[in-house]
Amino acid sequence: MRVVVAEDLFLLRDGLVRLVEAYGHTVVAAVGTGPEALDALRTHRPDVSIVDVRLPPTFSDEGLQAALTARREIPGLPVLILSQHVEQLYARELLADDRGGIGYQLKDRVLDADQFTDALQRVADGGTALDPTVVAKLLGRPARVDPLAALTERERSVLESMAEGLSNAAIAARLFLSEGAISKYTTSIFAKLGIAAADDTNRRVRAVLAYLDGAGS
Amino acid sequence: MTRSAEDGPLRWARAVGLGLYRSAVLVGVTGVLPAVAVPVSFFGFRFARTWSADLSAPLPVLLLVTAGEVAMTLVWTGAAGWFVVAFLGRPLSRAARWAAGRWLGVTIEPRYNPVLPVTRMATGFWWNGYAYHESEREARRRAGLDARHHDPQLRRDARWLLVAAVTVLPATAAPLACLAAGGYLLARPGGIGYGAALCAAGLAAAPFGWRLLGPLGTRLLGPSPRRLDQRVEELEAIRADLTQNQAAELERIERGLHDGAQARLVALGMSMGAAERLVDRDPDQAKRILAQARTSSAAALAELRALVRGINPPVLAERGLVDAVRALALDAALPVEVRSTLPARPERPVESAVYFAVAELLANAVKHARASRVEIDLDYGERVLTATVTDDGIGGAAPGAGPAPAGTSQPAGTGQPGAGGAGASQPAGTGQPGAGGAGSGLTGSGLAGIERRMAAFGGVLRIDSPAGGPSRITVAVPCALS
Repeated sequence: MRVVVAEDLFLLRDGLVRLVEAYGHTVVAAVGTGPEALDALRTHRPDVSIVDVRLPPTFSDEGLQAALTARREIPGLPVLILSQHVEQLYARELLADDRGGIGYQLKDRVLDADQFTDALQRVADGGTALDPTVVAKLLGRPARVDPLAALTERERSVLESMAEGLSNAAIAARLFLSEGAISKYTTSIFAKLGIAAADDTNRRVRAVLAYLDGAGS
Repeated sequence: MTRSAEDGPLRWARAVGLGLYRSAVLVGVTGVLPAVAVPVSFFGFRFARTWSADLSAPLPVLLLVTAGEVAMTLVWTGAAGWFVVAFLGRPLSRAARWAAGRWLGVTIEPRYNPVLPVTRMATGFWWNGYAYHESEREARRRAGLDARHHDPQLRRDARWLLVAAVTVLPATAAPLACLAAGGYLLARPGGIGYGAALCAAGLAAAPFGWRLLGPLGTRLLGPSPRRLDQRVEELEAIRADLTQNQAAELERIERGLHDGAQARLVALGMSMGAAERLVDRDPDQAKRILAQARTSSAAALAELRALVRGINPPVLAERGLVDAVRALALDAALPVEVRSTLPARPERPVESAVYFAVAELLANAVKHARASRVEIDLDYGERVLTATVTDDGIGGAAPGAGPAPAGTSQPAGTGQPGAGGAGASQPAGTGQPGAGGAGSGLTGSGLAGIERRMAAFGGVLRIDSPAGGPSRITVAVPCALS
């Protein structure tokens, strides 16, 4: 895979490059500022990119803005956002365009290389990889019109894993169920949330979005 | 027709009755000072006269002696008056304000000094808002006394008592005196004519005499106009608060780093060292230690994150006040609607202060007001930034500090009632349970804390929270937006 890394701290950028290369991918650009990141995303059109939220020159949410801009120009461009903190507000902005290929992870996750590269791979494949803490916040909130009320306990935990971006196999492994059972649960979740059959990856993203719309203020 | 015909006399009788009752109350409220001062001066002078009663001396000497006696009497009278003002000035003025508010609809807001919390200054002295003291106990003991007796409002109260004694007291006592004298004359043979006239005069005057309270009260019972020295005092108190808050905050951060991240990093280093030694001899053990080290580093990161959030929330730094408040709203445990008309980002210190105030108000609404939904409005107009937090909860929020009623000696810092100390809700932890260091050490948090932190920017806290709700709490800070 061709990867772009945008991170302003040299140590972390260097570490990320090593990590990505250790897993056999190619880093086509490693940049340290927001404008550079946007430039790299536009010119290289990488298979996946890793972008820090806070980048120079403003040290505000440059990285996030660069990623959002690039995704507007190149629909579905896979971006994994890394941040020192995770915010629902940013997660909602990222999820607002439901083309998939979105990840939003705490920087701590880099500590577990396998988990991190797994998330990276999922994003590259057009899936989602939300940090569990974001998911907990997104789903932990009592909604005014709660579309989750109809879901059973088990369906709810399947939806949570789905929101993180796990595949059916991964969910099955996590919940100690068979893959067949998981696909039954997902089908019933789609039915209960009123999501018509369409492209499979999109449906999964939209299941999460459907929840967000219901819970949104 | 019949009703209005009946209404006239009835209403008149009612007015007379009310007038008599109110006159009696006002005589009680305004008569205390003369009731003490007049006997003291009368009997005091008689007593002083006894010293020179059998003195035979030339006329100039006698005159001089008399002058001395008069002066002595005046001193006694003054002392008696001072005691009355010092000990009864506040309750009597409050009673008069209550009467004016209740009967005439005249709201008069006095400005009594609050009892300020005692602060340790960098120099090691204790500051109680008025003076420095060497020991904390002394500073505490003096805080209440100073607040009472160095209060400019006390002088205003004294002036009110003096003026009322010669204006309101006669005006209200006259109808009562007329009635009493009239009644006495009626009971005597031959005094019926005069008695009836006096009674009629008393009854006619009853509905009017007490009304003198209105104009005089508004003029004399209100807050003393702020003079430069008072403003300096206020600013000194604010500075003391700021110094203290800053010190407490630094202490919290230092403690957070020292007990948390720093200790974990040391442990991490030690684990690494151990793993380094074991890696050849016992690779499995080394792996276990390294796995632990990784967990430990993750925990250190989490602690640092919480600490950072308490100092300067990331979204606030990255996006500014409006989005930071939106993020806060998203994280809240109940539906929160955020509306904003801010045209630009305010200055960072103002932004931060308003953010933490809103965070705390929101936390209060969630924790104590039992609200089911909250609305937050951020507006800017006439060079004032306002943030209004409205909830549909049980209300009853009250500031602990501010214009303290007479006799309060509690330190500023009681939050919403029924909360058992809203002070527990320190900004660092709001909106994100588990985040933020525990116990910031900020004294007087809660509403009083917000009020004082806003005061540092020349801002105010307005509370509209009747018992039973809903609550509407506004912070307003003057600032310039580009």
